[in-house]
Amino acid sequence: MGLKRVIKSRELTVSLVMIGLVIFFSLSSKRFFTANNIRNILLQVSSIGVASIGMTMIIITGGIDVSAGSILGIVAVVLGKAAVGGFPAWLAIILGILVGLALGSVNASFVALLGIPPIIVTLGMMSLLRSLTYTFLGGRWIASLPESIRWMGLGKILNIPIPIWLTIILIAYFSYFMKYKSLGRYVYAVGNNIEATRIAGVNTKRVLFFVYALAGLLYGVAGAIVVGRTGIVQTNTGNNFELQVIAATVLGGTSILGGKGTVFGSLLGSLLIALLSNGLILLNVPALTEGLIIGILILGSVAIDVIKNRGEE
Amino acid sequence: MEPILKAKKIVKNFGGVKALREVDFDLFAGEVHALVGENGAGKSTLIKILTGVLEPDSGEIEYFGKKLVLKSPREAHEAGIVAVYQEPLVYKHLSVVENIFLGNEIKKKNGNVDWQRERSITRELLKSLDIDPYFIDEPMGSLSTGLQQLTLIAKALNYNAKVIIFDEPTAILTEHEAQRLFSIIERLKEKGVGIIYISHRLEELPQIADRITIMRDGQVMGNFDMNQVTREKIIELMAGHTLIEELKRTPPEYTDVVLEVRNLSKKGMYQDIDFKLYRGEILGFSGLVGAGRSEVMQTIFGLIKPDSGEIIINGKKVNVKDPSIAMKLGIAYIPEDRGSQGLFKALTINFNVTIPIIEQLTKFLGIVDNSREKEIATRYLKWLQIKAPSIYTLVNNLSGGNQQKVLIAKWLATSPKILILDEPTRGVDVAVKSQIHNEILRLADSGISIIVVSSELPEIIKLSDRVIVMHEGRITGRFDKKESITPTNLLNAATGARMVYSRD
Repeated sequence: MGLKRVIKSRELTVSLVMIGLVIFFSLSSKRFFTANNIRNILLQVSSIGVASIGMTMIIITGGIDVSAGSILGIVAVVLGKAAVGGFPAWLAIILGILVGLALGSVNASFVALLGIPPIIVTLGMMSLLRSLTYTFLGGRWIASLPESIRWMGLGKILNIPIPIWLTIILIAYFSYFMKYKSLGRYVYAVGNNIEATRIAGVNTKRVLFFVYALAGLLYGVAGAIVVGRTGIVQTNTGNNFELQVIAATVLGGTSILGGKGTVFGSLLGSLLIALLSNGLILLNVPALTEGLIIGILILGSVAIDVIKNRGEE
Repeated sequence: MEPILKAKKIVKNFGGVKALREVDFDLFAGEVHALVGENGAGKSTLIKILTGVLEPDSGEIEYFGKKLVLKSPREAHEAGIVAVYQEPLVYKHLSVVENIFLGNEIKKKNGNVDWQRERSITRELLKSLDIDPYFIDEPMGSLSTGLQQLTLIAKALNYNAKVIIFDEPTAILTEHEAQRLFSIIERLKEKGVGIIYISHRLEELPQIADRITIMRDGQVMGNFDMNQVTREKIIELMAGHTLIEELKRTPPEYTDVVLEVRNLSKKGMYQDIDFKLYRGEILGFSGLVGAGRSEVMQTIFGLIKPDSGEIIINGKKVNVKDPSIAMKLGIAYIPEDRGSQGLFKALTINFNVTIPIIEQLTKFLGIVDNSREKEIATRYLKWLQIKAPSIYTLVNNLSGGNQQKVLIAKWLATSPKILILDEPTRGVDVAVKSQIHNEILRLADSGISIIVVSSELPEIIKLSDRVIVMHEGRITGRFDKKESITPTNLLNAATGARMVYSRD
């Protein structure tokens, strides 16, 4: 990669904005630049970052998934109920992740096999799952979770929290996957020109199925992290999560028109979102403002992307 | 020497349309075989069959002496038959290397894509074509169309292509790029690759082609060595003895100019367009698909902003910024693509006909006057003899020809002074076509000035009082006398001969 392209890259822009934010928040609040708070931010990054891997692939194919938060919610419920119902922690976690995979596969079937627009499929899924979550919980919380289930959120290896390990490993693997595995390359190809990809002999339905199913699985992992970290399951667990993940992905340079983007860029996007929401809380900015800022960021970066693309035609 | 590729008695029908009638075609190693014909002559269908996109109804393909059955484009690739299209099929955000190898990756033992080998092979492929491979890591979309095309030729070579088909490769290239393409084609010939070369630029064929096959109406009209056939002969075979219906029509008095276009230019679309439209006349715009005719019309209607030039209506210079201004000036434009540009197919005839004038039909508080709406729709339904049970029939349920009439009704409802029809009878059957033609004549007799854009010569010749021919964005012919409006004259201009005039 030439120097010119590094300077023009979204990764660099996002990094610079982040550095600016870190300086600003550090100056504004004494509590910001502390080991404890940095750890908090990184923990929040992990759930968004892991989920953004799946979202990145989906958006690269030209799709979208607004059911991410609702899948995470259902996963949390299954995981919590299983743990409270006496399942061993490892089994409860695997069960939760499998539920994520299953729900992702339902999305995948509608999108890839039936050819229904992703926004409709995942919107329907979101509505359906939100109602289910409410039915299962009946408005109550699951708070008395056994300590063992919280390993995914609080456990440590070499004094580094498990979620951070997970994020690093998954981001690294899928960065490699997207560059060196043919299936990863086909994800880009589908987003660039699905017809040409089909003519090149690639099974495009298989590619689309894969990205939606994998995304479901990763939302499952993110769900296990969130439950582990917070130790609580509520009806609103995962609310607005899809918004954060989509924001992280488009901020990280993935084109909403499909065809380009990187998993690593989305990790940077996740960091930016986590930084922002943490810093705003420390500055005692009302919670509503966070939504406002995320909304502006999404619209702004999508607009830049679309205008840039127009210039290329 | 035996040909490497032989198509024998290929037949292909689409519904009732006979696209190919027992077409024979052959190709030798190391030759360039040009394929020419008007739009709709069957060239594209033949190419699609040779590249596995379509399967023939009957007939067979022999390839290196063996029968070849192609079920998909991929099988054709693997056999070594590759097409390079005018608009290259590319992945624009992906690198050149990737565009060449997608779907055909080189892998290491562990299943990883072997980027290093892919890159070095890409470099070799480009060098073998005498192209400096400095751009192989750039995204394809950042390359010029010419370079994209060359990259696709490199891709074809990577498939070890024995047959490369070029579909109008030079139509979008600059002169310099075209010359480079020709020298690459020479190199391909030296390697023994057989080349099928489709082009509307007859003037470049003597330079590049060894043989030529001329098609018309799904049949082969002739096959010659390039140096044994004249341009006139080719044109004559392309045009054939087209049946032209005679019409009883007295041309208008050419006195009132209603529309004048002066030096209109838009980069990449059209150049120096100059013409006048008189009251009550039918002015035909002839040429091949992509000659820039539709773009000129869309500019007059305010859909495209020109770079320079003037549009003058009734003696006044106007600035048509958008279609609503064009409509106020009395211009109606009926686009070629009925589905996406012209009609709301899921709605009623009534809705479609009155939508452009709906604001004039409102009463108190902007409520639409339904009885007037109904009256207008009914009037046009009867006048244009649209075959439908009622004005509340959904447009979707009408035949193509009747849909076209609804579209005409929609614009007539605006009482236009200037009516621009872009391919008015595409996709309609013969009976409806002649009905639509009669409507057009009746409208012209009533004093409306009409521009007809059509790629069908018989239609242009039948309807037009005068004809303007465009070729690659420029006006290459003007025919003001009915006697001079002949297939041969029009084709000559449409395929880029020097300016053709017949003022006197």
